[in-house]
Amino acid sequence: MTDQLEALYRARLPEFRRVAAAIAGDRELGCDAVQEAFAKAVRNARSFRGTGSLEAWVWRIVVNAARDARRRRPVLAEPSDHGTNGHTPVLPLELLTERQREIVFLHYYADLDYAAIAEALAISPGTVGATLTAARQTLRGALQEVQT
Amino acid sequence: MIELLDELVPPFAGDGDWNDVLRRAGRRSRRPVLLAAAVFAVAAVVVGPALGVLLTRHTVPQLPKEADKKNIVVIMQPLTGRIVVQAAPWKGHDGICYVLLFKRAACVPRTARGTEVVTPPIAGYTFDSRVVAGTAVTFSGKHVPLQVVHFPKLNVTFFLRKGRLPAFFARATLTDASGKVVARYTFKH
Repeated sequence: MTDQLEALYRARLPEFRRVAAAIAGDRELGCDAVQEAFAKAVRNARSFRGTGSLEAWVWRIVVNAARDARRRRPVLAEPSDHGTNGHTPVLPLELLTERQREIVFLHYYADLDYAAIAEALAISPGTVGATLTAARQTLRGALQEVQT
Repeated sequence: MIELLDELVPPFAGDGDWNDVLRRAGRRSRRPVLLAAAVFAVAAVVVGPALGVLLTRHTVPQLPKEADKKNIVVIMQPLTGRIVVQAAPWKGHDGICYVLLFKRAACVPRTARGTEVVTPPIAGYTFDSRVVAGTAVTFSGKHVPLQVVHFPKLNVTFFLRKGRLPAFFARATLTDASGKVVARYTFKH
């Protein structure tokens, strides 16, 4: 099992790090969360029952580790105004729920399909699709408001 | 929106640190083994340049980045648990990407009878769906069965030596369900 985890780590590390960084809100915290998550997976390998895919099981651990990292992150003052002032707009992710953000990150950064995201987050594929559609609508609407 | 997501968290590069994972997990790190190997490699460079080149080679073939890594399949050695084959669909192509024994990695298009054999040790793949078994023959004439694993999702069959069989073979055959030979290979070592 450790070899399988190592193969997964080597094969998908950039995607794990990117999603974890997005959830944690910090690149270093994201990288650290991935290391912690894989360490936890190695320690708890026996609890993997083999009913789903190993990758989905690891994604769930990584997402949880990134959530924990985000909660422990020092709170910094952030600009609340996303007006462009002629600059490139930024994504108003604070308009999304935590679940919507996670699904957006897993879909775009890790290229996971609905079934894989559903398995990783322990929800139904239908919920993934509906949540992703709602998130896209929210973001597109906000971007149009900013750009007009 | 995708462009903005790309800007939000730019892609990561790098191979990571698996030994750090093992340390955090409370497992023994492989670093001492690597250190010993490095010391031995340095000694080998002094002893023989050719051996030195072999031992200090850093790059181990990995699954190509064109592989669809969401659909990886693996073959593990039962005794050691070591992964000896990784394969996945080739993104945007009708074919597969694979790593054989961490010795050879490539992406190859699917052809009806496409087969490749790597020796030593003997291992390979075939797209020929008739293949269900394989046998290798040592130079002394001993026949040894090969491990043959078909992956329906990729529609490819991998074959490799079982456990600790002799590494050098004179020839090998792949057979169908009725025992009929569908491919034959002769090796010169």
